[in-house]
Amino acid sequence: MAQAVADWGVPAKGVAAIERELARLRRERQREGRASRARSSVLDLIVFATREVHARRAAASIAELSRRHPSRAVIVLADRDAPSEPEAALTVRCDVPAPADRHELCYEQVLVRARGPIEPRIASAVIPLLVSDLPVFLWWTGTPPTGAHHFTQLAGASSRVIVDSADFARAEATLPRIAALCTAGRGRYGVTDLSWTRLTAWRELVAQLFDVADFRPYLAGVTGLRASYAVDVDGRQSHPSQALLLFGWLGSRLGWSPAEPLSSSEAGGHLFRARRVGGEPFPVRLRPHYERDLAPGDLSGVRLEAAAGGRHAMFDVDRVDREHVCVRVAIAGHPVLERVHVLPPPGVVELLGEELTIMASDPAYEEALAAAVSLG
Amino acid sequence: MTVPVNPLREGLRLARTPDPAAVVIFGGSGDLTSRKLMPALYDLAHLRQLPAAFTIIGAARGAMSDEAFRAEMHDAVAAFSRHRPLNEEVWGSFASRLRYVSTGGTGGYDELKHALEASDAEHGTGGNRLFYLATPPAAYAPIVRSLAQGGAARGGGWSRVVVEKPFGRDLASAHALTEALFEVFLEREIFRIDHYLGKETVQNILVHRFANGIFEPLWNRQYVDHVQITVAESLGVEERAGYYEQAGAIRDIVQNHLLQLLTLVAMEPPAAFDADAVREEKVKVLRALRPVAAADVAARTARGQYGAGFVDGDRVLAYRRELGVAPDSETESYAALVCYVDNWRWEGTPFYLRTGKRLPKRATEITVQFRIAPHQVFSREASAGLEPNALVIRVQPEEGISLKIGAKVPVQGVRIRSVNMDFSYGASFVVDSPDAYETLLLDALRGDATLFTRRDEVEQQWSFIDPIVEGWAAGSAPLGTYDAGTWGPVEADLLLARDGRTWRKP
Ligand SMILES: NC(=O)c1ccc[n+]([C@@H]2O[C@H](COP(=O)([O-])OP(=O)(O)OC[C@H]3O[C@@H](n4cnc5c(N)ncnc54)[C@H](OP(=O)(O)O)[C@@H]3O)[C@@H](O)[C@H]2O)c1
Repeated sequence: MAQAVADWGVPAKGVAAIERELARLRRERQREGRASRARSSVLDLIVFATREVHARRAAASIAELSRRHPSRAVIVLADRDAPSEPEAALTVRCDVPAPADRHELCYEQVLVRARGPIEPRIASAVIPLLVSDLPVFLWWTGTPPTGAHHFTQLAGASSRVIVDSADFARAEATLPRIAALCTAGRGRYGVTDLSWTRLTAWRELVAQLFDVADFRPYLAGVTGLRASYAVDVDGRQSHPSQALLLFGWLGSRLGWSPAEPLSSSEAGGHLFRARRVGGEPFPVRLRPHYERDLAPGDLSGVRLEAAAGGRHAMFDVDRVDREHVCVRVAIAGHPVLERVHVLPPPGVVELLGEELTIMASDPAYEEALAAAVSLG
Repeated sequence: MTVPVNPLREGLRLARTPDPAAVVIFGGSGDLTSRKLMPALYDLAHLRQLPAAFTIIGAARGAMSDEAFRAEMHDAVAAFSRHRPLNEEVWGSFASRLRYVSTGGTGGYDELKHALEASDAEHGTGGNRLFYLATPPAAYAPIVRSLAQGGAARGGGWSRVVVEKPFGRDLASAHALTEALFEVFLEREIFRIDHYLGKETVQNILVHRFANGIFEPLWNRQYVDHVQITVAESLGVEERAGYYEQAGAIRDIVQNHLLQLLTLVAMEPPAAFDADAVREEKVKVLRALRPVAAADVAARTARGQYGAGFVDGDRVLAYRRELGVAPDSETESYAALVCYVDNWRWEGTPFYLRTGKRLPKRATEITVQFRIAPHQVFSREASAGLEPNALVIRVQPEEGISLKIGAKVPVQGVRIRSVNMDFSYGASFVVDSPDAYETLLLDALRGDATLFTRRDEVEQQWSFIDPIVEGWAAGSAPLGTYDAGTWGPVEADLLLARDGRTWRKP
């Protein structure tokens, strides 16, 4: 993979020259016997990065993904503060990185490097580079400037905007802006958050428990929720967005509303109360917890407590180590179910891969986000 | 209080996990269980696609402790799962819900009943039961009867039965088997396996046809010259001689897999992709198949048996020298036939079907050969290199489709050559698709019968096959021979030569 992004390919000027160059490179890869004969394009991916390390990391992920999602990737590296540049400039380089396995497909990579304060020109340089008639994904690394013109233009050219709230400096403050973006994009583009994608398997495991008819009545009698998420040793930087979205998901599905606004708890994290329509308020605790093997923000455990028919039940999904999670149910103090699952925290390649298979908006996400944001 | 639906299900990205259930595998100590069923169930557990409350009971006549059964299954899964090496933690919680019950002695079915009740009480399987018949076919009916007598067939939830192939060996026996199943189960509770339908690629035939607007207008007698369907195996009879000697290629492959592929290619668009709509259309094709009358057997079929030869560079034995095969066996290892679907869409369009063992390579594919352009605009010599358009749907090994089209050779003047436009499925999507048994087990657990064979389908299939088998028994279309590693007997080539056509080389 490192080789795939060792340099950004050959410079080219103008759309026609870029297309010509890409076609030549494709033929070359085939002649070298380093790639399969077919060219198959399923999507366009625009990546926006403001730092070269991010752009390189993205390129490496795309190279790995190209097996599943052969595409044209247009990587925009907007280096606003680039030093030693006499004037603002846009330069373009393109490449067809040789795949690791010669039967694999090549994908086409175009780097648009923007130096200096030239945001207004970026969209006009990127849009003609897209392969026509394919779904366009915009992957924005870092906190998206949702109000900025160049952001709006690129989002408007896309069918789906992907952000990662784990990268946001202060998720609690930025999530409402993402919620507003969902509303703004309605009917034109969908929005998603890789931190939401990190919850897919957790949601599935929690939901599966309530396929068991005997457990289902407890959903109407939740008496407490605790979601733990990882922080680093000193616990200074807290990334509660996964925990918030998990709360938002349960809340939107089960009709909870906040009984009081989000406030920070003394022990770190958040402690507040929510309630079901017509029900008693119950405590919700989003708890930061040091975990050696997890990235900050990653969920490490979910506990749902509930009462039904005079009995108390505990539903737990806990990470036991980096590879496994354990699902447990205890009713009236007796364990009734215990199962171990393989669930390593997904890497960015998997997360992105999952999002790229979804073409439209994801209502479950939008509703979960709206519920999380309603905590104010 | 009962809450009918799970409110957390909405908007999840994975396909719905099935209801809690207990699975009983009859033939729990058999080869199919070790090689396919248990690995598929473990793989589903690994992918978190099994319900939270789930148990598996292996059943067979022989005596075995739970521990011994778990140990045996552990090794089987370690050898055949898609997720290797085996994850011992996941295996541990999987194995904790694995039991063995011997149905051999008296009281065996009582014990099974108790085991099922214990599963409901201790594991929350809710009285839902999936019975899987993976024993020799002769045991199917007796097992189902014993289930009913012992009161184990139903537990207050749903009950379903999955029946392995072969489903009968002719119309009468298939009919009798269904009747035996009907003593306990309703048709919608019966899931007849044709594992070909569980293959991702086979389902893809329907997607290619009905999700793409461009093929369907051409998909008829007007534009299609003929269709060829090939299921080629390079393997010989291996360890299955006992069964194969009785079945032959016609029962082993033609009656089920080849006819199923034919129906998928020929069927009308279903109103929806659900069990009833799809199977309704499929059975219409089977009903429209022109019967092979006794007098037509010689003209419409060919059969053959492999002699010694070379496959993949290795010398291989003749069929009659294989272990367990009679030295004067008349069983065919190759069958070819010409079918016609007598309906508005396909009137007069031949469908050529063939299958064989010890052919040069393993390949399953469908070729739709289009008619040549009605008027040759270009001179005869310009178009000398032009072949008719053909759409090839490759099912295995390398799944994909290719379309042969004419293009101008880049020289001065016009010279036309055929080029292949290739789409390889593996090149556009993840190649790691689920095993057919994973798909089918999950569907049966969910109660989705779309990919299973309905009673009228299987009976139509046998009605079509029976006269061929009878004709062969009476000496029509004599058994030809072919060297292992070649594309079948000369009789099969003659079958097409009569129509002025040739078999494709996959
Ligand atoms: N193996 C394959 O690859 C394959 C492929 C497609 C279809 N199939 C079909 O799957 C079925 C099983 O094949 P197999 O190869 O697994 O056969 P196998 O290895 O011979 O196993 C047969 C199993 O059935 C059990 N059995 C026999 N009679 C029984 C009865 N009355 N009640 C309960 N259990 C009984 C046997 O154990 P006990 O003797 O202890 O009872 C054994 O566990 C057959 O119908 C076959 O056509 C197999």
